[in-house]
Amino acid sequence: MRYAAPTTVDEAVGLLAADADARVFAGATDLIPQIRSGRPEPSVLVDLKRIDRLVGVGESGGTWTVGAATPTSTLTADEAFTGAFPGLSEASGLIGSDQIQNRSSWGGNLCNASPAADSVPALVANAVRAVVAGSNGERTVPVEEIVTGPGQTSLADDEFVVEFQVDTPPAHTADAYLRLIPRTEMDIAVVGAAVRLTMDGGTCTAATVALGAVAPTVVRVPDAEAALVGSTLDDATLEAVAAAASAACNPIDDKRGTIEYRRQVAGVLAKRAATIAAERANA
Amino acid sequence: MSLDPTSVAGGVGQSHIRRDADDKVTGAATYPGDRVPVDALHAVVVFTAQPHARLVSLDVAPAEAVDGVVTVVTAADVPVNEYGLTMFDQPVLIGLDDTGRSDVRCDVSRWEADHLAIVIAHTRAAAEEGAAALAVEWEPLPLVPDVESARRDLVLVHAETAPSNTYYEMAITKGDIEAGWAAADVVIEGRYELPHQEHAYLQVEAGTAWIDDEGRVTVETSGQWTHEDREQIAHALDLPEDRVRVIYATIGGAFGGKEDMSLQIVLALAARKLADLGISRPVHCRWSREESIVGHHKRHRATIEARLGATRDGRITAVEADVWLDAGAYNYTSNKVLGNAHLSVAGAYEVPNARIDSRAVYTHSVPGGAFRGFGGPQGAFVAETQMNKLAEVLGMDPIELRRRNMLREGSIGITQEPLPPGVGLPEVIEACAERAPTDGPRQPVPPFRSVASLPTGVDDPAIVRGRGFAAGMKNVGFSFGFPERCEAEIHFHGDAGDDRPTSVDVFHGGAEVGQGNHAAILQMTADIAGVDVDRVRGHFSDTAVSGDSGSASASRLTFMAGNSVLGAAEEAEKAWRDGARPAIGAFRYVPPPTETLDPETGAGQPNFSYGYMAQVVDVSVDTLTGHIRVDRVVSAHDVGRAINPELVKGQIEGAVVQAHGYVLSEHLVVDEGRIRNPRLSQYLIPGIGDVPTEVESVILELGDPIGPWGARGVAEMPYITYAPAVIAAVHDATGVWFDTFPLTPSRVLAGLRDGAADPL
Repeated sequence: MRYAAPTTVDEAVGLLAADADARVFAGATDLIPQIRSGRPEPSVLVDLKRIDRLVGVGESGGTWTVGAATPTSTLTADEAFTGAFPGLSEASGLIGSDQIQNRSSWGGNLCNASPAADSVPALVANAVRAVVAGSNGERTVPVEEIVTGPGQTSLADDEFVVEFQVDTPPAHTADAYLRLIPRTEMDIAVVGAAVRLTMDGGTCTAATVALGAVAPTVVRVPDAEAALVGSTLDDATLEAVAAAASAACNPIDDKRGTIEYRRQVAGVLAKRAATIAAERANA
Repeated sequence: MSLDPTSVAGGVGQSHIRRDADDKVTGAATYPGDRVPVDALHAVVVFTAQPHARLVSLDVAPAEAVDGVVTVVTAADVPVNEYGLTMFDQPVLIGLDDTGRSDVRCDVSRWEADHLAIVIAHTRAAAEEGAAALAVEWEPLPLVPDVESARRDLVLVHAETAPSNTYYEMAITKGDIEAGWAAADVVIEGRYELPHQEHAYLQVEAGTAWIDDEGRVTVETSGQWTHEDREQIAHALDLPEDRVRVIYATIGGAFGGKEDMSLQIVLALAARKLADLGISRPVHCRWSREESIVGHHKRHRATIEARLGATRDGRITAVEADVWLDAGAYNYTSNKVLGNAHLSVAGAYEVPNARIDSRAVYTHSVPGGAFRGFGGPQGAFVAETQMNKLAEVLGMDPIELRRRNMLREGSIGITQEPLPPGVGLPEVIEACAERAPTDGPRQPVPPFRSVASLPTGVDDPAIVRGRGFAAGMKNVGFSFGFPERCEAEIHFHGDAGDDRPTSVDVFHGGAEVGQGNHAAILQMTADIAGVDVDRVRGHFSDTAVSGDSGSASASRLTFMAGNSVLGAAEEAEKAWRDGARPAIGAFRYVPPPTETLDPETGAGQPNFSYGYMAQVVDVSVDTLTGHIRVDRVVSAHDVGRAINPELVKGQIEGAVVQAHGYVLSEHLVVDEGRIRNPRLSQYLIPGIGDVPTEVESVILELGDPIGPWGARGVAEMPYITYAPAVIAAVHDATGVWFDTFPLTPSRVLAGLRDGAADPL
């Protein structure tokens, strides 16, 4: 294994293009355990953290930009970012543990392509876009198009995510993310639920609901979104949200939770997240 | 000499900061895995990975051909190929070459972690490559993966030595059981499934071995009893015990999991083989976390069926129980653990009529063995849950029910003998009743870390609260007639004219497994010598210089070491008065004898001292996700005398956290004789965000008449009552009894739906 630390996007693309077994990393919090547990070693480890564009968070002209390798602890500590995207900040703050969050990043969390990645449902709920660099230049794609299945992405061998872009939320808009694991940290989500709502005088005018860990990729729940829009989040609406979320699940049965358990809890978390998002949006 | 404790800095009763604290906090302390000599060779222990198979052939030549491999140790290199803490039933190495000096058949692997060979190389990587290169052929044999299949005896785990897999049984018959049922107005009946638990000590098994300057086979490692390790090594290597030396480096947790051999014998064999080859280099081995979890015993999985009869006013009339422990492939300490489960299933109550039958059963599963509580947790879980169910059926305060039945001074125990004097059970129960009465208010307590599935700051109606209670007792010291003892040596230094020593040396074998035993020994020595603790030097846990202390187990070490220190100091004082400088005193403390129990009735005096405990636990249950949070724990203990109160508190809080994992999250998956989740990412021990927010330690110092300064023990007691108290609190909150655990969210939600717990 070789280690490379390019300082420009082009240099990194060049390393990837030259060697199909090269792999990029940010915090390597998934990569190193994978190698230790017997996955084939990459030929070259390409450390992206020395590239300026890959690290940092800020808003300009109605768009927030987050470098793909930015430590999630930087995001949760950023008051302006957390004020604009409280749910995305919560999701970022649930990855691993306090120590892990000094290394974990959205880019890594997304491109590791685990169905249980904590940041991804919140990224999807906020319609975040990924800027992807490769030999043919850069392209911008919605995050939900990056992950195609467990461990699988739509990125070409010579491509990696440079940064994320997301529009500054309109007024009275807020998100929330809830996640269930058997303990409070250092585990993989059994269910994750992200909800983003826009409220107008107590009535919901826009909604996105995205679930994690209940299907091979993050699941949008259009029926829950439809139930929310136009509602005041009364009990009947929340029950409809829960039912739609449960119905949208296509989970696996494993040590962390049965299919039935994941379905039921997906509904509970979607309902609770919607309630929190509405409170925040109304505030 | 002064015996006024207040005049001694760091004497008994003071929360003196322990000497090893700085090094442990800063990371300067070196544990066995850190202590790799620069010239060390590296050993890998090859597991058979066969829960039941006969070895057909083993060719080490391909391994020895690997670049960097020095040699491979096999069964042919083991003079006496057997070991075991309480019976020799386990081969050191599985192999076809047998010296014929053991009755244990060594060509059959009965456990996936049986050891096949030791590959020694210049680097760890080369040793691993060599291990992978071994040419080995197995003939699979039929498995008995669990107690249910093992009890049929269609396949015998130890056909040569045990004609039935049910190889060890104990019985209690007391009073007239039929009369007991006839007098009962209410009968509580239950079947309980208790899970395995992994010790999960931070420091995995590791060690280094060499031949020392005096030619002794020397093993530096971690363990719980240097002299027992030495005896086991000497037996297998066929050496006199004084040709073997065992030293403990800093130990990072043991909890019973290091009571049996892991690397001790194999490291000694490796050192011996290198010496035979004329290679004068130390050899180091360190297990990975996976090797540690697969490769050492667990808290026993158990099935217990129980019946409890009582009158309408809550007097116990009869107890019946059948206990089955899954001993796994080898005995380890199962026969002794069984004894504790056997006694504790009757509870800490006056039981006029009883029938209890307990059995240890061999299977091809991971061996069960010592683990904090040593059978007590399984037995007490059933006893206390039965009592809590009885309280519910009678509509009686569970604390009041205990008052009507609890053992007190002069009570006759389940083994038909009076309890040793100093029964502190009534006092610990009342301490709980005072601080957290059954119908008292439950204060919501903010958690260390918010639960991410819950709305924050919202008092959700889905969250229900409950309170649970449990009480109990646990023996201090070895039981059932074991020749219990503990040795100490003390040197008083000073000039001829000195009235008192200016400094003191204490030599003691007691293992500092993290609990603070060395701090306690130093403080007790300082106190009795009348010198500040900073003037006491400790020389610990090296068989070359310290005597036989017995094990750091059974909540015994403060009690036993304290008495040995008192005896040694008395001897040293005599020598001091006679003018000897240094004045040397050596002492072997032997407590009152205990007895093996009558095989039919269980009558006899099994123990010489007990610790008494009671706990109240408050929980919150999220009824929509099944997530449980423990808000508050009151843990009351008669410790006799707190030698160092902060360390006693540390034991209480540590035990609560360990028991928290047992009852709520730790789920070892053992399937077809194999552990399926041997990683801490898959086997979930509690994190700091999961543990109870508030643990109120109530330390009563009622004094054991034969304890040093009155001290009893405390290490295991807070563990034992926690699981039944949590289960009772969850029942109080939800109305559902869970007769099995861990209470993972998934199981809790299913239980709330069905009104009862799903099996594991």
